[in-house]
Amino acid sequence: MIRFEHASVTYPGGVHALKDVSLEIPDGQMVVIVGLSGAGKSTLIRAINGLVPLTSGRVLVDDEDVTAADRKHLRRIRSRIGMIFQGFNLVNRTTVLNNVLMGRLYHTPTWRTILGRYTPEQIDLGMRSLERVEIVEKAYTRASNLSGGQQQRVGIARALAQDPRIILADEPVASLDPPTSHVVMRDLQRINRELGITVITNLHFLDLARQYGDRIIGLRAGELVFDGSGAQVDEKVFEDIYGRSLTADDVLEKRAEL
Amino acid sequence: MSAALPDARPTRPARSKLVWVAVALFLAMTAWSWDGIGFSPAELVEKADNARRIVDDMFPVAWQAWPVLVEPLLETFRMAVIGSVIGCSLALLVGFLASQVTAPNGVVYGVSKTLMSVVRSIPDVLYALLFVAAVSIGPLAGVLALVFFNVGVVAKLLSETVDAVPLGPLEAADAAGATFVQRVRAAVFPQVLPNYLAYALYTFELNLRASVVLGLVGAGGIGQVLRIAQTRYRYDVIALIIFVTFVIVFLVEALSISLRRRLS
Repeated sequence: MIRFEHASVTYPGGVHALKDVSLEIPDGQMVVIVGLSGAGKSTLIRAINGLVPLTSGRVLVDDEDVTAADRKHLRRIRSRIGMIFQGFNLVNRTTVLNNVLMGRLYHTPTWRTILGRYTPEQIDLGMRSLERVEIVEKAYTRASNLSGGQQQRVGIARALAQDPRIILADEPVASLDPPTSHVVMRDLQRINRELGITVITNLHFLDLARQYGDRIIGLRAGELVFDGSGAQVDEKVFEDIYGRSLTADDVLEKRAEL
Repeated sequence: MSAALPDARPTRPARSKLVWVAVALFLAMTAWSWDGIGFSPAELVEKADNARRIVDDMFPVAWQAWPVLVEPLLETFRMAVIGSVIGCSLALLVGFLASQVTAPNGVVYGVSKTLMSVVRSIPDVLYALLFVAAVSIGPLAGVLALVFFNVGVVAKLLSETVDAVPLGPLEAADAAGATFVQRVRAAVFPQVLPNYLAYALYTFELNLRASVVLGLVGAGGIGQVLRIAQTRYRYDVIALIIFVTFVIVFLVEALSISLRRRLS
């Protein structure tokens, strides 16, 4: 379970990215966070694994305080939280498998990492992660030779290799075309349903948010302004979260009705 | 048409007066230097006879002397190899410590960066002179000089490459719970490895040329033979050395360029 208690983040420039947010995410939920860019979606997600430290308040993951954790403790907490990024964040100049095995770093002794020698068990786990996102045939291809959609699935496999309890996805489809976006979102949905992993995704396409989010959290200017089930949200709710009327740019399928 | 939007078009901003100051300074410095060393191309014509005599002395080239050169040439080659291996290995460490992306803290970063500039500010021949004085004449002095020279060059190039690396993979490593060393090895090292190998090959080329010169001050290899030939006015032998050196450097360079192209 993830718990935010009066969490606030103020960046050095004085921007209040998160203002007094309190909420709970129980295990196994598929949560989508929506809001305009700059509303604090990324900050909220990065506060969960401590990539962005809170200015005040607390974040707890499975009753462990992320805010108070020292470096070693934080690494242990992070090892159980997979993360997927908008820009994929793969090492382009190495193989897909090496990228996936970055998910095992916490459980790998440093000397092994330095030598780049992985155990057969680790390689097996990496391969299984790639099989789950149906891209195992690319294991020994250089990451830079894959398409955007394939790279994002490698990103998902890397997160899965951590054997995580939670997966954070920060705008996972923002760099992808519409059909590929659905492939990636379906992968995340399957991971949530079949493995029971909590999945928290930032999205700015509202149709995707409704389609894949069991629960939707709305942020506006760093404040929590909506928290409800996907079925509850309609155009009115989204306009309220966005603080303006909706446009064609807010949906992935431009012709689709909201 | 030309008067359609008179206000929308910006006028060309006035050029800064400083440009003219810079040009004047540049010209003054050139004149001062020219005059200061009494540089005169006419002198070249006056001394043409002397130059012609030396060129005459070079021919016929002393081809029969080549067996004497084999050992010293091998020594030069070996000095270049050892200098590159040790220098580039040390540079791998220093290069990572001298980038803000991979330095463990600001102090280490500052110290490595300063050390790097100091090492680089001393020319290789000066290193050779120092080491010849310290460990006496021979290839050891030459290798030491090359090591210092290589650390300076490769660490500088590597640290700048590390500075420019995309930071996304580092964030991914952090998010997976990596330690500091793991993050450098898994997220940064693969990104800079091809560049690093290219720099290493390039410094090997530089070393081969440099170790010829280093021999002139007594640091072993073909340069030492060159010095002996010069003191005995054996320009026919010097001609042979120039030719052989040219061939070897040319071949190594061609090989190195083709290898480096394959890396990128």
